Amino acid sequence: MEEDVKKVKKPGIVSPFKRVFLKGEKGRDKKAQEKATERRALHTFSLSQPDHRIDPDILLNDYIEKEVKYLGQLTSVPGYLNPSSRTEVLQLIDNARKSHQLSGQLSSELDAVVSLSAYNIKLVWRDGEDIILRVPIHDIAAVSYIRDDSLHLVVIKTAQESGGSPCPSSCPDLNKSQTLSSLSEGGAVLVEVCCLLVLAVDNKAAAEELCLLLSQVFQIVYTESTIDFLDRAIFDGATTPTRHLSLYSGKGKKTDLLQQKRLLKLFLFSQTLTSVFILSSDDSSSKVDVKEAFEEEEASTFPFQVSMEAEGNSPSASTPASPQTKTASEGELSTTAAELLQDYMTTLRTKLSSQEIQQFATLLHEYRNGSSIHEFCINLRQLYGDSRKFLLLGLRPFIPEKDSQHFENFLETIGVKDGRGIITDSFGRYRRTASSASDSTTNGNGAAGGSAASDEGREGDEWDRMITDISNDIEALGCSMDQEGVAP
Amino acid sequence: MTMEDTKNEADAAAIVSMALYTVMYPVFNQLEKVNLSAAQTLRAAIIKAEKENPGLTQDIVMKILEKKNLKINYNECLLRMAADDVKEFTIDRREPEFQELNERARALKHILSTIPDEIHDRGGFLQSIKDIASAIKELLDTVNTVFRKYQHHNRRALEQQKKEFVKNSKSFSVTLKTYFRDGNSASIKSAIAE
Repeated sequence: MEEDVKKVKKPGIVSPFKRVFLKGEKGRDKKAQEKATERRALHTFSLSQPDHRIDPDILLNDYIEKEVKYLGQLTSVPGYLNPSSRTEVLQLIDNARKSHQLSGQLSSELDAVVSLSAYNIKLVWRDGEDIILRVPIHDIAAVSYIRDDSLHLVVIKTAQESGGSPCPSSCPDLNKSQTLSSLSEGGAVLVEVCCLLVLAVDNKAAAEELCLLLSQVFQIVYTESTIDFLDRAIFDGATTPTRHLSLYSGKGKKTDLLQQKRLLKLFLFSQTLTSVFILSSDDSSSKVDVKEAFEEEEASTFPFQVSMEAEGNSPSASTPASPQTKTASEGELSTTAAELLQDYMTTLRTKLSSQEIQQFATLLHEYRNGSSIHEFCINLRQLYGDSRKFLLLGLRPFIPEKDSQHFENFLETIGVKDGRGIITDSFGRYRRTASSASDSTTNGNGAAGGSAASDEGREGDEWDRMITDISNDIEALGCSMDQEGVAP
Repeated sequence: MTMEDTKNEADAAAIVSMALYTVMYPVFNQLEKVNLSAAQTLRAAIIKAEKENPGLTQDIVMKILEKKNLKINYNECLLRMAADDVKEFTIDRREPEFQELNERARALKHILSTIPDEIHDRGGFLQSIKDIASAIKELLDTVNTVFRKYQHHNRRALEQQKKEFVKNSKSFSVTLKTYFRDGNSASIKSAIAE
């Protein structure tokens, strides 16, 4: 009975230790509760079971958020890490936790939100919404789910930085490079490195959901990129060569012909774009307008094509060719130029908004009027952004020969040329040499005779006059564009 | 009949006549081993009939399938069988460019014929599409090489054929986009057959 009495709590008397301790705990609980109520609701959608399917439009035009705990990011991880090897990944994580690179305890301080779309995954802190990191989809190599006792880890293997690739050990920025090099008997050995983004979720279902969502993102992105790859293959292969080998003599004219053809395409392109912008008022109407603009362009380019086709080495270089040849050549070049333009315009129409097309037209106009290729490339890159930088590839046929090397180098630096990025350029055989360029104006040994020098001079004058006329037309169109503004 | 009508008719005829080249030609080849004369007579008769009535062979084949109560996917079978070489469509010229053209065409047909098996596995299908893209480009590059190097009195007709090929390739691409959006594989197989 005494024990029972002892056990009975006497109300009003609380141990000082308990008072402080409980107050603290209550305070923390209260704070956590307040925090939970203060936190905004996540932007989420119901997913169809059992495979957590989401409407692709949400990933393309919207985003979805999931709550996770951000344990940290491991950098300079050897790229050959097998993401499906539980042992390998856990070993790395354990070492990282020992060295305090990763958080050991799961607390509410690690709460984060992962925002997922077809363009990137973005990680922000749950409280305060400060951004932790953003990874473009094309930088994600693999996603793994590892259950370690009660811990449900989602590990995302990503590029170290955007577009990582090995570099030689002699590279002066080795410390900052994305490559670890180790000396072997034969010299430096290059090792690609990657990052591991380590997240924790509440349970297996949440982990599977996140993995399946990412899987769907990959499907969308790589499906789209595969179709684009197919379109580009057709686009690249569709160009018809316009000259027969035996009609050419000498090699000196190759570069001029290419230069002039590219310039012509550039003019046609910029003219068409400005026409499209003037005609189009909204997306629904512009499709028809593009076609109309192209039909107009085809008709107007005929005079130029006569001169283009006649500028070879035949004695009649300054005079139109025979009607039959002229018609065939006009048709070929007209079709080639129109097809190239049409295909690229169609692509732009699907990827850019009306305002962006206007900006593109402006940049092209400036480039044609003397702005440097460097500026043109930088501005375009800014306009397209990371997710659409592959559009730069389609400009290849329109870049004059003198700027082509810079353009190619630029493509390489932004990770579009050599397979990095969402869209890969697999046509490594494409070379900007006269012999294999899409214009296919190669030279042969069949000398057509006649004095070419005076013919060249007359051609050059004629060409300059036409270029000046076109430039004036573009400027006039540009002025009328400014005056009309964007019509609703 | 306008030029456009004639062209459209020719396109349709090329597609429906696939049954002749893909299904009947191998049959004729086998029959020739049994009775050469009869097989050749039959071949000539059906070719003539098909020419006058495009689609006749397809109708005959479909009726036979119906009679035998065989539930098969016709487009799928056509695709698979189209990978085989057809002597009449093989270029005889010995120059390397023409032989390469034969090889490229053969490679493309072979990849296309694997579509029915790959279409249900997204990853494998995407890889096949990439292979098709490369094969199309290589074929077109080879065609361009032939155009560059060799004069032909009927160049415009050849270029027209090339344009048709490009047009059908683009149509295939559009159908793929629709498929990935809607999931209807029948349209893909039909587009590939074209």
